[in-house]
Amino acid sequence: MLKKILIANRGEIACRVITTCKKMGIRTVAIYSDADRLAKHVSMADEAYNVGPAPTAESYLRIDRILEVIAESGADGVHPGYGFLSENAEFSRRLADAGVTFIGPDEKAVAAMGDKITSKRLADEAGVSTVPGYDGIIADADEAARIAADIGYPVMVKATAGGGGKGMRVVFDASGIAEGFRAASSEALSGFGDDRVFIEKFIVEPRHIEIQVLADKQGNTIYLNERECSLQRRHQKVIEEAPSPFVTPEVRRAMGEQAVRLAQAVEYHSAGTVEFIMDADRNFYFLEMNTRLQVEHPVTEMTTGIDLVEQMIRVASGESLTITQEQVPINGWSIEARVYAEDPARGFLPSIGRLTDYREPAGEGIRVDSGTFEGGEVSIYYDPMIAKLIVWGENREQARERMMEALDSFDIRGVTTNMVFLNALISHPAFASGDISTGFIGEEYPDGFVGNAGSREQQELFAAIAGYLRAEERLRAANVHPSDADSPWKILKRAGSGN
Amino acid sequence: MNSIVDELQRRRTQSLLGGGEKRIETQHNKGKLTARERLILLLDPDSFTEFDALKQHRCKDFGMAEQQFPGDGVITGYGYINGRLVFVFSQDFTVFGGSLSETHAEKICKVMDKAMEMGAPVIGLNDSGGARIQEGVASLGGYADIFLRNVEASGVIPQLSIVMGPCAGGAVYSPAITDFIGMVSDTSYMFVTGPDVVKTVTHETVTAEELGGATTHSTKSGVCDITFANDIEAMRQTRRLFDFLPLNNLDSAPSYPCDDPVDRREPSLNTLIPASETQPYAIRELIEKVVDHRDFFEIQPDFAANILIGFGRMEGKTVGFVANNPAVLAGVLDIDSSRKAARFIRFCDAFNIPVITFVDVPGFMPGTLQERGGIIKHGAKLLYAYAEATVPKLTLITRKAYGGAYDVMSSKHLKADINLAWPTAEIAVMGAKGAVEILNRREIAQADDPATRAQELEAAYRDNFANPFIAAERGFIDDVIEPETTREVLCKSLRMLANKSVKKPFKKHGNIPL
Repeated sequence: MLKKILIANRGEIACRVITTCKKMGIRTVAIYSDADRLAKHVSMADEAYNVGPAPTAESYLRIDRILEVIAESGADGVHPGYGFLSENAEFSRRLADAGVTFIGPDEKAVAAMGDKITSKRLADEAGVSTVPGYDGIIADADEAARIAADIGYPVMVKATAGGGGKGMRVVFDASGIAEGFRAASSEALSGFGDDRVFIEKFIVEPRHIEIQVLADKQGNTIYLNERECSLQRRHQKVIEEAPSPFVTPEVRRAMGEQAVRLAQAVEYHSAGTVEFIMDADRNFYFLEMNTRLQVEHPVTEMTTGIDLVEQMIRVASGESLTITQEQVPINGWSIEARVYAEDPARGFLPSIGRLTDYREPAGEGIRVDSGTFEGGEVSIYYDPMIAKLIVWGENREQARERMMEALDSFDIRGVTTNMVFLNALISHPAFASGDISTGFIGEEYPDGFVGNAGSREQQELFAAIAGYLRAEERLRAANVHPSDADSPWKILKRAGSGN
Repeated sequence: MNSIVDELQRRRTQSLLGGGEKRIETQHNKGKLTARERLILLLDPDSFTEFDALKQHRCKDFGMAEQQFPGDGVITGYGYINGRLVFVFSQDFTVFGGSLSETHAEKICKVMDKAMEMGAPVIGLNDSGGARIQEGVASLGGYADIFLRNVEASGVIPQLSIVMGPCAGGAVYSPAITDFIGMVSDTSYMFVTGPDVVKTVTHETVTAEELGGATTHSTKSGVCDITFANDIEAMRQTRRLFDFLPLNNLDSAPSYPCDDPVDRREPSLNTLIPASETQPYAIRELIEKVVDHRDFFEIQPDFAANILIGFGRMEGKTVGFVANNPAVLAGVLDIDSSRKAARFIRFCDAFNIPVITFVDVPGFMPGTLQERGGIIKHGAKLLYAYAEATVPKLTLITRKAYGGAYDVMSSKHLKADINLAWPTAEIAVMGAKGAVEILNRREIAQADDPATRAQELEAAYRDNFANPFIAAERGFIDDVIEPETTREVLCKSLRMLANKSVKKPFKKHGNIPL
């Protein structure tokens, strides 16, 4: 078992990993930039080292400096969290060279799944259902037109080095293919320095369903059910849930088995996520595999009772999985909402500043994964995520109601948050019925989110609360006069003083 | 008998209507309430007792004898605000434009005299076109009678002036002498000479709003202490201010029921001071988190914003707050901020209200504008006010306290009762950079790399002097406290200081550098 783990990350995920390490009795080392000196993850860890100035490129991404800290602290394992260096093959390799355990898959798997074209090819070979398309690089607009006609419109032109929604263009018919090809290539070039694109079928009303896989170094690979992440804004996930309201047990099994096959094809170990896109007929197609722990992992934890960070550490330490596929449960329902410091009324512009008030909701089935505290800062240098609000319920409706209550009880002031928007989504009838797709937010709020007037009942409730507070204030004010004792004015004046 | 009662009824009805329905409608169309409507909102329901509703003017010139309005353009009397006695006058713009006549002034003087005898505050709602020209010198005499009483009452009973319409010419001197002036946005203005005369004499073209509206007086001149959006807000907020004040100078501030625990910790205050010493922060957050129920009534928020003043409650009792504001001009002291705070401190001192001062001041603002403006004397006002005050004085240094400004801001040497500092406090004669440039000038000049040597010396200076320890070692501060405990420490200190009483040598009055 690893003895001392360095967390090569910050914010809520660093706190999350440290929490599990503490539970397991493993010592922790935190790294921090100048801007994060007082951050929560720093005070939580046993040791902490400064790795440079605020910008991530000068601190959290500095592999050299991190290796220095590892040597100085004597850490024998590194957990990379998500983002940052979690899928950086060079980092994995240098850790391996230094004899330090990387808590994640080996660099070959990372590299294989990091390239969209390669990963698609591997998926095909492993018998994983993939999006119909042509997985070679498209040379020019003419070839694009030919391939697109073969596949059948609508198609998506995608950058091979792309991600996060960049370098992608949907083309609905032949008239748009030339422009689509040009635009996707140029965006890919400026975004990733690589203008190579390929073409695949575009799924209409798609749902984003992903499978959590977990594998040890002994070759045991299991899947821990699915998560649905269809509610996205500009390809960024906003709300995630497990299980999916759309997936049937048969489809779950099929997707899970395919995900496992893919993981085995690259001799995967540790936790990973295989992302699929699903159409209205429940046909599913492989999108990509994320060779790291994902932001939304808590909803899987809440419905399976498995601590994924703990499993990653055990696997990295060489232990075998103690759970078999048959033993993986689905208990109840879990929903996660990402609370961001951004202003929905202003195009979701990040809102930076000091959290003058920060009080998390508490209660049955509520879990908050946060890297900040009252008096903490939302900085311009980092992702403006304040916290992940996760709820669990015995069924989807109970989870949904708990989420609405939890959002209402989350007191965050000092910065603007997206909680009004999250609440609008959770209370939307389409979400209530599970009738969602990745296009939902864009279609429902094409001009951005303009706010929620609230139902008549809610408005009356607010008026009643305001009236109550006013009455309380007036009651306090009405008790302001002193007792019946003679006023000092009278007494002192009569005694001749105060003149 | 019946005809007397009928006549009484007729006169009373006429008095209630003021200048008549039409003029009332005009007042409303301007977005203003009538004089009586304002009093209804200001005072507790059914608590107003009127004097002199039937009083009439005695002018015979210019055909005035035929124009009589019972009440003569001002409504006077007494009432209660949350059960506490207050004397009021509310000028009625619908009667002769609210203009002041001999009898109008007599009415006001009557309530002011009564207020002085009863030891209760006076609230004046000003809405007047000025002197009643027809009465000539008698009207001027009326003003002077009021001014005299304003001065006699100053420091004896609190006086509030709420300007809710015109207030021009000599009339402005009454509010000027009172303790707090409130103005209603867009519908009120104050100036000594109006735009017409200004145009003739100095050839400046300016509107009444630009010359003396609420915005001008709350941002540029500092004459206005509180700005209200409209008449209704004005009455509500005046009640709120009144609840902070004692009734007279022998009374303690009223005790408000307090559900806010004294030992409430605020861990967020531990990160209030930014890491970089030149970065600003919101001192208002500290005040709001320390007072009861986050209820802070700020005075002059838009004038000299480099210093904050206002009322809050600690454990139910009114306290005056003064705080340097590092977010504006780095919290430096200058002419405007010195005057703003000095008057507030003297008001608190006159009326038994303790003063809590939060200090983060890098010094006084340099420059010819300040020097020629007389910063020497205006800065001295603030020092004088602190030194003179005998109410409980508590001081907390949050960050910088440099140079003379350290002395001025309620230091131990000026007989502050409790002086505290946060661990982030830097009490020094000046900042590291400036100090090192002077003290080590020769050494830096002779060094191989002057820039690096200067930096090293600055770091050393900072380590040795930019901290609260030297001051603590000498007892200039009583303790260094954790920011999250600030409320508890202040409340406990105030409890101890509740019965503070200091004897001063006899003098008619001091000579504060005016």
